[in-house]
Amino acid sequence: MITGHFKTDYSADEGIWSNWPKRWGLVAALVGLAIFPFVASNYALLLAGQIGIFIVAVVGLNVLIGYTGLMSLGHGAFFAVGAYTTVAIHHEWPLTFPLITLVISTVVAAAFGVLFGLPSLRVKGLYLAVATLSANFIILFLIEQEWLAEWTGGISGTETPNAVFFGVELVSQQAKYFFIMPVMVLMLLFAQNLFRTRFGRALIAIRDKDYSAEILGIALFSYKLKSFAISAAYCGAAGSLWAYFFPAILPEDFGLNMSITLVVCLVAGGMGRTLGPIFGTILILLVPELLKIVAASITGGDATAQTWVSPTRDILFGLMIIGFLIFEPMGLVNIWDRFWRFMSRWPFAK
Amino acid sequence: MGQFIQYIINGVISGSILALIALGIVAVFKATKVVNFAHGHLILFGAYFYFTFSVVLADAPFMPAWVSSWEPAWLIAYAGDAPMFSPRAAIASWVSDLPRILLGLVGALAANAVLALIIERLIMRPLLGQSAFAMILSTVGLIWVLEGSAGLIWTAEAEQVPALGPNFPIRFQLFDQNLFLFSGSLVNLLVALLLFASLMLVLRYTRSGVAIRATAEDQSTAYAMGINVPRVFSTAWLVASTTGAVAGAILASRNGLSPAIGLFGLSVLAVVLMGGLDSFAGVLIASMLVGILSSMAQWKLGGGVAEIVPYVAVLVVILIRPHGFMGQEEIERI
Repeated sequence: MITGHFKTDYSADEGIWSNWPKRWGLVAALVGLAIFPFVASNYALLLAGQIGIFIVAVVGLNVLIGYTGLMSLGHGAFFAVGAYTTVAIHHEWPLTFPLITLVISTVVAAAFGVLFGLPSLRVKGLYLAVATLSANFIILFLIEQEWLAEWTGGISGTETPNAVFFGVELVSQQAKYFFIMPVMVLMLLFAQNLFRTRFGRALIAIRDKDYSAEILGIALFSYKLKSFAISAAYCGAAGSLWAYFFPAILPEDFGLNMSITLVVCLVAGGMGRTLGPIFGTILILLVPELLKIVAASITGGDATAQTWVSPTRDILFGLMIIGFLIFEPMGLVNIWDRFWRFMSRWPFAK
Repeated sequence: MGQFIQYIINGVISGSILALIALGIVAVFKATKVVNFAHGHLILFGAYFYFTFSVVLADAPFMPAWVSSWEPAWLIAYAGDAPMFSPRAAIASWVSDLPRILLGLVGALAANAVLALIIERLIMRPLLGQSAFAMILSTVGLIWVLEGSAGLIWTAEAEQVPALGPNFPIRFQLFDQNLFLFSGSLVNLLVALLLFASLMLVLRYTRSGVAIRATAEDQSTAYAMGINVPRVFSTAWLVASTTGAVAGAILASRNGLSPAIGLFGLSVLAVVLMGGLDSFAGVLIASMLVGILSSMAQWKLGGGVAEIVPYVAVLVVILIRPHGFMGQEEIERI
């Protein structure tokens, strides 16, 4: 909880930045993001780019799981659709302006989202989770097919283009960073704003109780489909950025592993909050890197001892999921809230 | 026509193994309302335990010689000079492997049972009463924990394990067509169906079976009637892990031991949803259907398509019947 809500009129009540910590927090974050590439190493920039892309996708998943209450274990597929659409567009028209590609990939992914959101009318919860999981397997299977291999590269993957802005090719990590971060910030702002609107409130009503929402006059089917479309669009945009960011992509990059990583980022961060995906993604993507560094310092780069690093990473990942669910089901955001609550009352009460 | 029947037979055999795996998921769901995404990895552990006991331990230097290869005089006399791949040679070699197979099965059942009890007590019990979402995700987290632990304990290479039954080809004629199948698969089919049927009988006629059914019906009423509900949960996990260990042994002897067994469990989850989460009969039907459809797809469309058959089938079935063939519809009150 952040204190300092001193509202004197209704327009202030409607504002996005309702208080000074939010306002200055945003400014500080933006300044930090802008300075970061000039002080960070290439490795840090690589991680930052990856985290930025994942944040876009996880924010999209948050719209579906956190705000609409629909379960999905198949968003890696929409990620794949975005990435492969970008590759296919550049295959046909090599010099397409990156932002146009980004928008087209987003729209195509949204269309797939509507298609695979169709089961959400009939089923929910676990059944929807398995339906989306199936969709993930099916989409990846299609991508691996021979008759699409000209555009997708089939099972062995494909090289991806670099973004070219007005004749400047984005090759270095730093340049790519400046492409990814503005997109990420804009999409974060869009999501934050979405839930101040009638549409966003309708989604929240569906999450809280779908039948009650229907009685209130919210057309369940169309809202659920729109929610699927928006979250798939976010993942599509993330996929497009992913294709620009990495030199090559493989179908198996977008399998169950990615879908579940996205959900885990969301759960670790906290569902139904804008800050949740940011915290969660940073934690989930940085822990394996930390483990790598720790393992390297313990073993001293010994190659034979490295074999246990990957299993240990898996175990740690699994334990983090279970640990969050048992001990902190509201996610990191809850810890953040508790911290600020404590600070605002200190030293008078706990 | 002959080919058609051949593929139907193959489908029924793989369908029976699907059913054996699905059994574990349904048992756990019925008793605890947890859908176990990690069941495939429980099976993986069963397979690895079977390997450990039947190969590593049986060949260990401190074991008596008859465990690794049992050759009494009558067996050598029976085998005589039977040609390779003949039924007699296969049975003789199976009998001489019998001690290690039994050791492997008993060990795998026991070890998997202990593992399941630990999982149930440490992870599932604290999450009781949480949302379906939390339950699903915790079993998803379990997937990684189990996979990583398996990778730490056992090297991730394909290993051979002894089959449950003697393995020789059986050829016969039907509609003037030559058909054949391996006796080993036939044994697997019988084991799977026997386990399935005996579990049905246990559920219907024993005290603990009635307790499981009562808990499935209504948890709090079962509590009020003096049923030890936590013990019912443990029983369900025990059933899942032990049938899973047998399924793991079968899968490992069929396709070799590899971490891919774990992923197989996910496609079984699709089968379970297709049949209905809380219906053993529906799940049996769905398993047979998916087994046969996959084998048909393999015949007509190639192996790649066969892999996604369960997923396509479950999407279609869920769209038409949201709760599967015979699953009970949830009634929601506002």
